[in-house]
Amino acid sequence: MTDVMLPEELLTALNERFPCRAPQIRRLAALVGTDETPSPPALVLHGLEATGKTTILRAFLDRTEASYTWVACHECVTVRQLVERISAGVTESVGGGDDAGRAGDVCALGVRLSVALSGAERKHFLVLDRVDRTREGSSVLFAALGRLGEMIPSLTVIFILSVPRPRFLSSAEPPHIHFAPYTKEESIKVLSKYVRRIPFQDIEEYTEEDAKEELYVWQKFCGTVWDSLAKGTARGVVQFRAIVDDMWEPFVKPIAEGKYGTRNYSSLYLLHKDMFRRETDVVDMVVPAGAGEKAATKSESTGNPPCVHDLPYYSKFLLCAAYLASYNPARQDATFFMKSNDFGRKKRRGGTTGPTKRTAKNRKIHRRLLGPQAFPLERLQAIFAAILPHRLSSSADIQTQIATLTSLRLLTKASATDVLEASTKWRVNAGWDYIRHIARSVKFDIEDFVAE
Amino acid sequence: MESTPPEEVYIDEFDPKEHQGCYIFTLDGEEDRPTKRRKTKGKQRATEKAAVEEEKCLFPVLLDGKETESTLKLRYRTYCKLWEAQEKRTKAILDSFNSKTLGDVSAFVKDAAPEKFEGKIPTALVLAGPNIASHELLFEQLAQRIRNQDRTGPVVVLTSKDATSLKTTLRKLIRDATQQDEGVDDEEDIARKVGGVDEDPQRSSLLTRSQSTKLLNYDLQILQTWCRSHAGQKVTIAIQDSEAFDSNVLSDLITLFGSYLDRIPFVLLVGIATSVEIFHDKLPKSTIRLMRGNKFDVERAEECLAQIFNDSITSDKAVLRLGASVCDFLLERYRDHTQSIQTFVGALKYAYMSHFYANPLSIILGFIDNPDGLGEVLSTEHVEAIRNVPSFRRYVEGKLAAKEVGEVRKLLADDNYVRHTVAEKILESRNYGIELGQALAFLEIGRSCTLAQNKTPRYELYAKALSGELQTGPSIREFLMSLKRMSSTALLNLLENVMQEVPIPAITEPLKPLQEKIKKLVEEAAASGGKKTLISEFDITNNTLRGTAVSKKVRLGEQKSSLTKQDTEYSALVQQVYAIAESYLTVNFNSSQHGLQNVLLHEIFFYDLRSPHSAVFAPKPRSTIERGLSRPQDYLDCSCCTSGDGEEVGIRGTQPPASIIYQLYLESGALINIYDLWSAFYSVIAGDEEEFDAQTAQALFYRSLAEMRFLGFVKHTKKKTDHIAKLAWKGI
Repeated sequence: MTDVMLPEELLTALNERFPCRAPQIRRLAALVGTDETPSPPALVLHGLEATGKTTILRAFLDRTEASYTWVACHECVTVRQLVERISAGVTESVGGGDDAGRAGDVCALGVRLSVALSGAERKHFLVLDRVDRTREGSSVLFAALGRLGEMIPSLTVIFILSVPRPRFLSSAEPPHIHFAPYTKEESIKVLSKYVRRIPFQDIEEYTEEDAKEELYVWQKFCGTVWDSLAKGTARGVVQFRAIVDDMWEPFVKPIAEGKYGTRNYSSLYLLHKDMFRRETDVVDMVVPAGAGEKAATKSESTGNPPCVHDLPYYSKFLLCAAYLASYNPARQDATFFMKSNDFGRKKRRGGTTGPTKRTAKNRKIHRRLLGPQAFPLERLQAIFAAILPHRLSSSADIQTQIATLTSLRLLTKASATDVLEASTKWRVNAGWDYIRHIARSVKFDIEDFVAE
Repeated sequence: MESTPPEEVYIDEFDPKEHQGCYIFTLDGEEDRPTKRRKTKGKQRATEKAAVEEEKCLFPVLLDGKETESTLKLRYRTYCKLWEAQEKRTKAILDSFNSKTLGDVSAFVKDAAPEKFEGKIPTALVLAGPNIASHELLFEQLAQRIRNQDRTGPVVVLTSKDATSLKTTLRKLIRDATQQDEGVDDEEDIARKVGGVDEDPQRSSLLTRSQSTKLLNYDLQILQTWCRSHAGQKVTIAIQDSEAFDSNVLSDLITLFGSYLDRIPFVLLVGIATSVEIFHDKLPKSTIRLMRGNKFDVERAEECLAQIFNDSITSDKAVLRLGASVCDFLLERYRDHTQSIQTFVGALKYAYMSHFYANPLSIILGFIDNPDGLGEVLSTEHVEAIRNVPSFRRYVEGKLAAKEVGEVRKLLADDNYVRHTVAEKILESRNYGIELGQALAFLEIGRSCTLAQNKTPRYELYAKALSGELQTGPSIREFLMSLKRMSSTALLNLLENVMQEVPIPAITEPLKPLQEKIKKLVEEAAASGGKKTLISEFDITNNTLRGTAVSKKVRLGEQKSSLTKQDTEYSALVQQVYAIAESYLTVNFNSSQHGLQNVLLHEIFFYDLRSPHSAVFAPKPRSTIERGLSRPQDYLDCSCCTSGDGEEVGIRGTQPPASIIYQLYLESGALINIYDLWSAFYSVIAGDEEEFDAQTAQALFYRSLAEMRFLGFVKHTKKKTDHIAKLAWKGI
């Protein structure tokens, strides 16, 4: 290959640090190069989350001691902030430059950058990290940023983004470097750089042999986790590592205790079979599942019932009524809620005849899958009155509770009109499980009232 | 629907000025005129003004205008004094209530660091319950605590009102975080002032970079610079009402925090009113992945209610207590509608207010600690009012039944004697409330020690006790029965609790020796046989399998024989405890001898008017409007609309036009043809008259239809031409 113009040992070091990224690093070496070689005006690095774009580029630029400015676009709230950051960053890293004025928009930015870089002897790189996550960003903005490199000869703009769109920069396509997601083998290889220790209980000294054994178990384990859990849920190498980290300690506990040897992996796997079926390590939660359970059992042991914050009695009925109003078609209200009609019990269809022709003809999507429909407040109140076990003369308290439910976002306003307008529509914002739980707590059989 | 039509109350208060087009505004008094502010006299004036304010009495003159100025003022002062004391105690309870949660969260914040949470934002999920009104207080307390006590750094409380967009939120966040602790490190301030040029050097230096390019005021780099100069400080962001936040803004914010985490040590507190699951549903997974932490439960609001209730109504410090029906109303409203402590306290204050506002005899409450001056204060009118109080009448009748005729004559004729009696008796009346509270406390503790399953809090027992239901209800019987079956460990625990919580001689004195004896017995048993718990002979729960009557007898016999000597002695002692508890509870809750009805002047010590509360706190606007429109005769009370025998009258031409329209409206379907409505209206309003002016009728029709639209009953619709849509149904 002729495109390698950097010292060979630098590339080897980088390849050592970032396994499985050799082609990308080589391309970077060709396009970024040294100060003597020319660089294209713009360059796009793309690839999904956790494929090493940012880390590798930063390490590369640091190693080659290139002059560069790094701007994290996802930290910028407005375009103006982005532009000012670019301007300030470039001025700072090039050194000198006058302080007069600030770059309010892209045009001013072009002028300021060309002034700042006019005296520069070296190539300068402007890295726009996660440029596709810029808030308020428009295609015009990106196109203009892409042209900066064409206007200023010594500048190269490097875009880092996840998925490139065709004609993203509205110009002749700049060189793209694709960071492909890691495959299973590659992921395991990457993770093998961070082998976790087995916390042996009786260990005198840590030998080569132990390290080798650990690596063996680790790689086997990573493979199992990938096949059982991560393949479907966490393909990013970072998430994959988080899962492996979480599961590692309990998994190797028998080895640490000396019950199992390192080499009979399959029996260890059988011992922990359950672990690979559970989803707790895969589902993202703020409070880790294990910690929450511990706290719950603790409070039980001290005698206090687990803390459950309850909605007021009528709020629960209001919420049930809102759910019914959202998920039942309005024209069936009479069947469900008329007092004369056996108090709303659902008519059981005769099970013997089987599906009739008509139902077969227009098969419908289940209403629960269609999402909540909007309803006027009057309907909610009518259903509320119908499902209450006793009569309640409506007072201002009911209205207050509707307002409270709205500020809890369990009810949301569905139309843009004023709250007090009678024609304003509302919508329930809680799932079936939550509603069923609430209905049970007030002994209301909501199943009987839900249309199929 | 029970709203009574107002009578002629308003006629007296008719103010002609209200209907005047323009009038001259004259000031009431000199002292109300705003004085020019002068710095020298400002403070003095303020104190003077406060004194005037305090003396200004907002209460009306009662007793048919014969109440003297001094008693009026006394009434107001008594109200202020009593409520102030009560409010102080309530506030202390509210402040101390969250202390556990506060401690936990502040400990979390103290040792939170991203390294401990896998490089994620340390997040405390505060499950604060659905009572939104208390959240502000909680977060205020949290912020105070972290800011002043722990001093871990600035705290910014964000509410959904601040967070209309990402930019405004960040602006507020940065402003609050950087300005907050200016008082904390003064030296630095001074050091900055030397170099600074602006009047606010710290801010301006934060706003500028090293190159003096100004940063935008929503740029988190300002905060980053600030953090660099305040090493070791954490920035705590408290999101008070996470539910009400726009989820996009919230997730953007959290993502931003996540990306700045390596430069600004953020700690997140998230207030959740519903549940963690709903919070998780609200945010994208990638955002949730950025947070890691723990959840903290705020104590249940019922606990707080119980404490406040016990303090304000059953404790011996309380002066004015609530009666059974108000109490029922408040608790029901709490349970079914609001679940808010704040509204409960508000309602309590309202009870105080309306009691002192409208009851001239309430001044008696001011003399509760020292009845000396009471005789002089009570005027002839007051005494007359006392004689009209039902409990006084009952008292007199009681005397009459006891044949104390002389006494009765004096009570009815001699004013001074009444004054004397009242001064003597008020202490007794007050003690009634105190004793009741103590008995309830005893019962509650007893029940909680014996029946762990169904704990009934004191506030639910209270109303029952006042209305006399408690004596006949199962609560006492259950407790006494299980008391008999208690083992020695449980009984000693119960006695210990009672001694601590209810230190009253009536119950502790007879129980103390028994407690000693039981202790001794247990020690003896432990010394001889190693048995630590003595069982009562009434305890038959140990063997639940009793098949037939014969085997039951056999088992009973067996059990009796298996009892040791100490067990038998213990059983005798249990019997004694039982007898004491029974007699104590019967005396206190016996409604015929010891009921509220027999307490002289209980009307003054127990506020029991339900209607003001329900009218003020739970009004029924909708049914009132509906009634006004559908039955205008209820309000107008005119001869033309009312039939002679008070029967249903239906629609009549003499009724107000809006009312006619409304009644026609009720009869129609969801869409109303305007022309049909008009012709019906015309036929009603014209009645039998052949030549009713059609133009007048049309004008009335238009006006009343506009009124209907204004009230939100109808609206235009595009579904059908010449139709309007019906929006409200009656009786919902």
